[in-house]
Amino acid sequence: MKNRLRDLRAERSWSQADLAEKLDVSRQTINAIETEKYDPSLPLAFKIAELFELKIEEIFVPNHRK
Amino acid sequence: MKTIFEKPPGKWTVMITGFTWTLVYLLARAVLDNVKLSDGLRVVVALTPVVPFALFLVFILAGIRHMDEFHRQVQLEALAIAFPLTMLLFMLLGMLELAIPLSPVDWSYRHTWSYLPLFYFIGLAIAWRRYQ
Repeated sequence: MKNRLRDLRAERSWSQADLAEKLDVSRQTINAIETEKYDPSLPLAFKIAELFELKIEEIFVPNHRK
Repeated sequence: MKTIFEKPPGKWTVMITGFTWTLVYLLARAVLDNVKLSDGLRVVVALTPVVPFALFLVFILAGIRHMDEFHRQVQLEALAIAFPLTMLLFMLLGMLELAIPLSPVDWSYRHTWSYLPLFYFIGLAIAWRRYQ
């Protein structure tokens, strides 16, 4: 799944560690999501969307959708 | 009531209990190899590593409960690799045992169990590599 997490984080000048702390996950988890090697669970995706005040589909885009 | 699972164990806690278990195991082996004891006492000595291992296991479980979803996924993949490798090892040893005489001096349980943590660490390395 593609995502805009890195861009959204950069817009706020947050480091991966900052974002990890806000979401109560590890920095490696943020890195794995940003590099699109790991898709977060639905609860974590909701948490991310809530943090950035966006809808889930505004952050995560399935690979089959352009 | 507070339990040991409520907060994640420190890295040192896990390492110290793991080290204690290894030390007790090595001491028990040395005693069994070198000291003449009655059969009953030999069984007691052989079972002593269970105590520090149980503590080690509790801290590992507490650690896993406090991992985030990504780290649990990595652990699951590591075990998904380690478990079939373990099956393969025991299947092959069983078959080889039928084919040729395997010396218990080299291929007893006390030798083969140490391959299991090795398989876990191989699995862990492969799983981590996938997400790098």
